[in-house]
Amino acid sequence: MKRSAAKATLIGLGALAALVGLGGRARANELDMATLGKPPTTSWPTFNGDYTGNRFSTLKQINTSNVSSLQLQWSYRITEVRAQRGAPVPVIKATPLLVNGILYFTIPNNVYAVDARTGVKLWTHSWVDEGGHLVGNRGLGMYRNWLYFLGPDDWVICVDSNTGKERWRKQIADARLQYFTTTAPLVVKNHVLVGVGGDAMDIRGFLVSLDPETGDIQWKWWTTPGAGEPGIETWPSVDAAMHGGGGTWLPGTYDPDLNLIYWGTGNTNPVFAGQGRKGANLYTTSIVALNPDTGKLAWHFQVSPHDTHDWDNTESPVLIDANIDGKDGKPRKLLAQAARNGWFVVLDRANGKKVVSTPYVKLNWAKGTDKLGQPIPDPAIQPTVAGSMTIISATNWQSPSYSRDTGLFYVNSVEGFGIYYLLDTNPKPSGYGGTVNLLGTTTRVLKALDVRTGKVRWQHEYPNLNGAPATLGPGLLSTAGNLVFTGDDQGNLIAYSADEGRILWHFRAEAPESNGPITYLQDDRQWLVMAAGDTLYAYTLAPPALNRATQ
Amino acid sequence: MLRVLLAGGALACTPLAVLAQAPTAAAAVPTPVPTAAAAEPTPAPTAAPAAPTPAPMVGPVLASAADAAPSPERPKSASPSAPMPVPQASAPSGPPRGAQAVREFLGLGPAPDAAAAKRGAPIFASNCAFCHGPQARGAEGPSLIYSELVLKDVHGATIADFLKAGRPEKGMPSFATLSDEQRKDVAEFLHQQIEDVANRGTYEIKNIVLGDPKKGASYVAAHCLGCHSITGDLKGLGEKWRPADLQRNWIMPPRTAALAITATVRDSRRANDSQRTGDGQRAPQGQSAVKGQPTGDGQPTPDGQHTWQGRVQQIDDFRVSLVNDSGQLTVIERNPGITVELHDPLAPHVAMIGNLADPDMINVTAYLETLK
Repeated sequence: MKRSAAKATLIGLGALAALVGLGGRARANELDMATLGKPPTTSWPTFNGDYTGNRFSTLKQINTSNVSSLQLQWSYRITEVRAQRGAPVPVIKATPLLVNGILYFTIPNNVYAVDARTGVKLWTHSWVDEGGHLVGNRGLGMYRNWLYFLGPDDWVICVDSNTGKERWRKQIADARLQYFTTTAPLVVKNHVLVGVGGDAMDIRGFLVSLDPETGDIQWKWWTTPGAGEPGIETWPSVDAAMHGGGGTWLPGTYDPDLNLIYWGTGNTNPVFAGQGRKGANLYTTSIVALNPDTGKLAWHFQVSPHDTHDWDNTESPVLIDANIDGKDGKPRKLLAQAARNGWFVVLDRANGKKVVSTPYVKLNWAKGTDKLGQPIPDPAIQPTVAGSMTIISATNWQSPSYSRDTGLFYVNSVEGFGIYYLLDTNPKPSGYGGTVNLLGTTTRVLKALDVRTGKVRWQHEYPNLNGAPATLGPGLLSTAGNLVFTGDDQGNLIAYSADEGRILWHFRAEAPESNGPITYLQDDRQWLVMAAGDTLYAYTLAPPALNRATQ
Repeated sequence: MLRVLLAGGALACTPLAVLAQAPTAAAAVPTPVPTAAAAEPTPAPTAAPAAPTPAPMVGPVLASAADAAPSPERPKSASPSAPMPVPQASAPSGPPRGAQAVREFLGLGPAPDAAAAKRGAPIFASNCAFCHGPQARGAEGPSLIYSELVLKDVHGATIADFLKAGRPEKGMPSFATLSDEQRKDVAEFLHQQIEDVANRGTYEIKNIVLGDPKKGASYVAAHCLGCHSITGDLKGLGEKWRPADLQRNWIMPPRTAALAITATVRDSRRANDSQRTGDGQRAPQGQSAVKGQPTGDGQPTPDGQHTWQGRVQQIDDFRVSLVNDSGQLTVIERNPGITVELHDPLAPHVAMIGNLADPDMINVTAYLETLK
């Protein structure tokens, strides 16, 4: 018996030695769960870095005085994936996770682990889909040494962070029913939170919580109410609500103190044809607060009542602690969102009560706000057979940022108008049921909004004869170095001063900035990582500036 | 007509409190960069939704998607403004060219058999429509286009057997009297209904001319005839474009070469010893320096400035590319001291976007449609 025990030990040592031999990584890359929700400095362990959605870093080694000396340290280009179904070139829309010196990111059907010091690929994991959209993939969630990502066809796949080997897979919806999955799972306590998208066949949206160990479903929250449930009075029929849309396709945010998760819900279905679903259509195009342990709805605020313009309200609900009304000097627990319908809201995140509610782009579809502070859509501005002109989506999935230093909310907005047509005049329309023809070119405008008022403090209009693409676009990061990092639509990665919007640095990449930039401290150096098209770029300060900054 | 003055590097930074700032600090002067292809005039970028008949899609063109596919490789003529392919007016029967691409993008599964669906239509109408509605969207019986059984079926493999058996316990009779072929035709009819709804690549904007031409004529008389003429440039407009394109194009005409945005670029400094900057790894500072005097229209003016004029090929915060009358491309770094003045001949049309009321839009379209 002794012998066999000794043998087992030897095998164990051998395995350990083999592990040590692999690039000097002796231990499993396990996420210290205590870092989740902390300000991201030496790691970036969730889609937004922390749970607030601020995408604000307290790091200031890189700052307004030295950002012009940023130097490219490495770039990682995806070369083995070419055109995917419906996607001519790979585009990294994922925000990478950074845990223990390894960057994890995705494109549809592919996961990458890359050494953060060198840009060397450690492993990849590929998924073969059977349907779903390959429109984008926002990245991963992490729990201990497990990573979670989504196939486009509604599969949640759990893989080992050291090897990329699959641990389990779980299907949460059916792609043949036109559900698809692109989001980055959000890990909150022992919950893996996953949302869905889908428009073509009028899905009923939901958010699902999975057990991180087994993938078993813990709870499922449906975006639209069932028979007899609160909110069903905002639908003409239960049947309409059962096909009412409300995807949940971007990660939400989380307040551990209030034990609430905050999620934006997608557009109502049928998309452009509202005649079969008269009413406000809760809880689509809303911000909802849910208990992460039960999936129970705590409150809601509908930013785009009775949506008929494809104005998914999935944009990040950004958690802000700010002394907004200057009364007692105490910061209030708030939530801010720059919505796709052009509306900016600041809410009390304990109860969803309105604090600020105002447009942030010029728009023509609203007739003021109701007593809750929700905008009132003008019934005359709806898709019609003859056409109706209003704004196109004022923003989309691109990450906004909130700087705790400047008190400004940064959003890459798009200004432009289109003619919306109703194509499906059936009393029971289905699918998109309409379309939009863009008028002229759109303009990308970076706006810095004062969260106390929603007013524009500064803005930067990007010159571009080709306008802003509808579905690509740069994300944002702000830092304590008084900087905002983002990009334009022509391949320039750009740093602005956060307080005034002065351009202080740019780098011409091979493609437009395409994800949410991240920053972290590694080996005493502050790194900046941004994606542009199929390439990840990593920067630090160049030596002279670096030496000065680290002295 | 409209002049937009751009200082330094900034179209930009219109901070309500901060003056426009020059971008990076590089102290270079602009450099004309003659391209190898200078002999060939560069085609104007189609900034506007232009072509009445968009080119076939390479990738999906889906502005209506929650978040659609990447577009950088999209051909310019399949303009981002045309969110879905609009079939040609004279298109032959059959699915529009974009339909298959959208089908693949959405993962809609195999395309329905159009011929079988056509055979299935009268069978459905006489046997099924009473309960399920003429388009299978539900009546007394449930909608079939949302049916899991239908959505998961491939070419009738499941539906045909289901129809044969029926679902008597729920009041759905057996259709054993139909042949297997007929039941498959019914299945294809159902798949066609789903295709018509789910595949926005098949959508077509039509029958939009609903306005009052008389009111439209009054609007045109009051607002348009300062620049345009009914017997001149507007003549035959109703024949030139399909109505949906007409409606878009009269508000924002296609950006033809004659309607290109032009610019006057001025440099208040000397134009020597310039360097291109800001290109990161591709063109580190100094390596791609191009020296030389500006040529042609870049000659110094009597007051010591250098001035360039031409059609704007593209502009961002850091450089502006101009094409002059002889087709020469000049790239000018937007360094301190450089001002860019844009001239947009379509400025009055741009001003209409977002300000025109829907009834005026619809009435004018109805009027212009009469100009044959």
